[in-house]
Amino acid sequence: MRRLASVLIAVVLVSGALVLGGCRVADNPEGSPNKPTSAELVDAPKAWDDKTVTFTGEAIGEAMVRGDKAWIHLNDDAYYIKNVEEGAHLGGYNSGMAVWIDASLAKEIKVFGDYKHEGGVAKVSGVFNAACAEHGGDMDIHATSLEIVAAGRDAQDPVKPGKLMWAIGLALVAGALYLVDRSWGQWGPT
Amino acid sequence: MILRPRKQDHLLIGKYTGKIVIGVGILMLIPLVTSLVFQEWDTAVDFVISMSACFIFGFGTQLVCRTERDLSWSHGLVVASGSWIVATILGALPHWLSGHEGSYLDAMFDVMSGYTTTGMYLLQDLDHISRGLNMWRHLLTYAGGQGIVVIALTFLFKGTAGAYKVYVGEGKDERLLPNVVQTARAIWLVSLTWLGIGTAALFGTGILLGQDPVRAFLHGLWVFMGAWSTGGFAPQSYNTLWFHSISYEVVTVVIMIAGSLNFALHWALWTGNRKEVRRNIETVSFATTLMVITIVATFWLAKAGVYPDAMSLFRKAFYQLASGHTTTGFSTIYSKAFISQWGPVGMIATTIAMAIGASACSTGGGIKGIRLGIITKAFLQDIRRMISPESAVVRAKFHHIRDIFLEDGLVRSALTITVAYLTMYALASFMGTLYGYPLVSSMFEAVSAGSNTGLSCGVTDPAMPALMKIAYILVMWLGRLEFMSVFALIGYAYSMVRGRR
Repeated sequence: MRRLASVLIAVVLVSGALVLGGCRVADNPEGSPNKPTSAELVDAPKAWDDKTVTFTGEAIGEAMVRGDKAWIHLNDDAYYIKNVEEGAHLGGYNSGMAVWIDASLAKEIKVFGDYKHEGGVAKVSGVFNAACAEHGGDMDIHATSLEIVAAGRDAQDPVKPGKLMWAIGLALVAGALYLVDRSWGQWGPT
Repeated sequence: MILRPRKQDHLLIGKYTGKIVIGVGILMLIPLVTSLVFQEWDTAVDFVISMSACFIFGFGTQLVCRTERDLSWSHGLVVASGSWIVATILGALPHWLSGHEGSYLDAMFDVMSGYTTTGMYLLQDLDHISRGLNMWRHLLTYAGGQGIVVIALTFLFKGTAGAYKVYVGEGKDERLLPNVVQTARAIWLVSLTWLGIGTAALFGTGILLGQDPVRAFLHGLWVFMGAWSTGGFAPQSYNTLWFHSISYEVVTVVIMIAGSLNFALHWALWTGNRKEVRRNIETVSFATTLMVITIVATFWLAKAGVYPDAMSLFRKAFYQLASGHTTTGFSTIYSKAFISQWGPVGMIATTIAMAIGASACSTGGGIKGIRLGIITKAFLQDIRRMISPESAVVRAKFHHIRDIFLEDGLVRSALTITVAYLTMYALASFMGTLYGYPLVSSMFEAVSAGSNTGLSCGVTDPAMPALMKIAYILVMWLGRLEFMSVFALIGYAYSMVRGRR
C-alpha cells in the first residue's frame, strides 16, 4: 500500500512539473526588422566585423551622452513595436545592440523605452565592431546616420479590476489573521 | 531506526517557517512603496496581493502551530530549507502577476535564482518592467545574500537558542558575536554600510556617465545589490555592458569581491584586524586561483585574437572571470559571445572559476575557497609525510581568523562537501547533454546554476525544457544551502512516510 502511495506521489509530482513547465512558446510575432539581426551579429561576430550594417530597433532606457558622442541601445526583439504591458505576446529575452553615435543625432530620439514608454524606433547605419578597440573590446556599432522610423509613445498599464478585488479581499483576510494572532493570548486556549 | 515526526515537530516547523514567510512579506513593502512613488499602480496591486498571501500563510501558521518548544538541530535544518521553498512559491507572485513570465515555474525559477544569489532569469522583456518589480528582483538577491533566515533572525526571532540551528541550516556557521541574533545584526550592519558607500559610488559614476539622477540612483542601488550579494541581476538586459565604462567596471569588481568575502573576515576588518586579509586561507586561495585562471584565459583569448589590444583583452577577461569566481554573474559581453568569441578553453576556464566560487559564510556560492585551501594543505601534508622519516610527526595548520590545525575530521568534511558539489555539477551537466546541448555549454550552465553564479552562454532560456528548469531550481537551492539542510528536509519527508511511530 505504501509503495503504491509512493508511486502515485511520484506520478503526481512529475505530472505537476510538466504541467507547470508548459511555458508559452517564444512566438516572436514581430520578428526583427534587421538583416543581420542582433542575434546573428552576436552568433557570428567575425563574419560581420568591420562591415557597414544598417540596424533598426527600439531605443531603450536612455542616451548616455559622453562629450559630443553618446551611447544608445537599440532592441530589435519581439517588443520593439509593442511591449508586454500593451499586450504583446511573450517572445523571449530582449535582444539588441549598443550604438555609439553623435550626441546631436541621439537627441533626435525623444522617447526611450521603459515600463511606461514604448521607445522611438530608430534606424542607424554604421560600422559593426566585434570587439571595439576604442571601447575596451565592447561589441558595438559606430553609427554615422540615424533616422526615426516611428516615434515613441506612452505605454499604458491600467489596474485590472479583477486583480484589485483580489488585493482588497486578501488584504482583509491577512489583516484579520494578524489581529486574531495578536490577541490570541487574551482569549485563546494555551 | 527512523522515528516518525510527531505533531509537536510539525507545529514547531510550521511556526518558524511562518515567521520567515512573514519576513518575506514585510520585505515586499519596499517594492510596494517604490511602485507607489513612481505611480505604477498595477504593480502596486501585485505587491498588495503578494504581501497579503505571505501574511495569510505566516499569521495562519502562527495561529495553527502554537508551541513553546525550542528548535533542535534537525528542526532548524528543515525550517531553513523548507522556508526557502515556501518563500519561493509566494515570492514568485509579483513576477507572475506582472505578465512577464511564461509560466509560474519560470517565476519560481527567477525567485529561487534571486534568493540563492544566482542571477539567471527567465523573465521576458526585462527592459520594459516596472521599477517596483525591478526593486523586488534586486531586493530578493540582496536579502538572499545575507540569508532570508538572517532577516527573520534580525527582526522576528527573540534570541531563542534554537535560532542558531536555523542560521546554520542556511549555510552559514560563523558566529561573529556570542549571540546568533547579534551575529545576524552584525551581518546587516556590515551589509548596510557597504550599501550606503557602494550605492553612492555607483550613483556618482552613473551621473558622470550621462545618466539622469533618478536612473543613476536606481541603477546604482540595484547594481550594488547585484554585486554585493554576488547575485548578478542588473536592471537592463545588457547587464553591466549597459554602462560601457571602465570606472563602473572597477567599482563593481571591488563590490563583488567584497561581497564574496567571509562575513567573519569583514568583521575582523571592521574591528581593526587588517592583517587578516593577507593571512586568511580564503583570500590566499581566491587570489591564487583567480590569477591562474586569468592567465590561462588571457593566453587563450590572445591566441585566438578575439580582442584588438592587450588592455581590452585583460579588461574583458578579468571582469568575466572575477565575476565568475566571486559567483556574481555580471557580464560585459553578450551571453552567446562565450561561445562565439571565448570558445571552449575560455568557457572551461570560466566554468572552473565558477565551480570553485567564493568564500564560506559569504553571499557567494560554489565549493568555496576555504575547502579548496584545506584540501590543498592536506594534500601537501601527505606529501610531506611521505618524504619525512617514519618517526616524524607532520602537522599542518591554516589561518582563518585564527590558526587552526588541520584535523582529519576537517579534511573529511571539506572533501565530502566538495564531492557533493562535483557530483551535482556532473549530474546537471549530464542532463543538459541529454537534452542535446553541447557538453561544454551544458557544463558551463550547470556549474553556473549550481555555484549560484548566473553567467549564461545561452542555454538558460524561457523556451528551455521544463525539467531542466526544475533541475536548475534544485541545484541552485542545493548549492546555496550546501546540501545538509536540504537532505534534512528530504529525510523529514521520508520519515513522515516510513518512520516508526
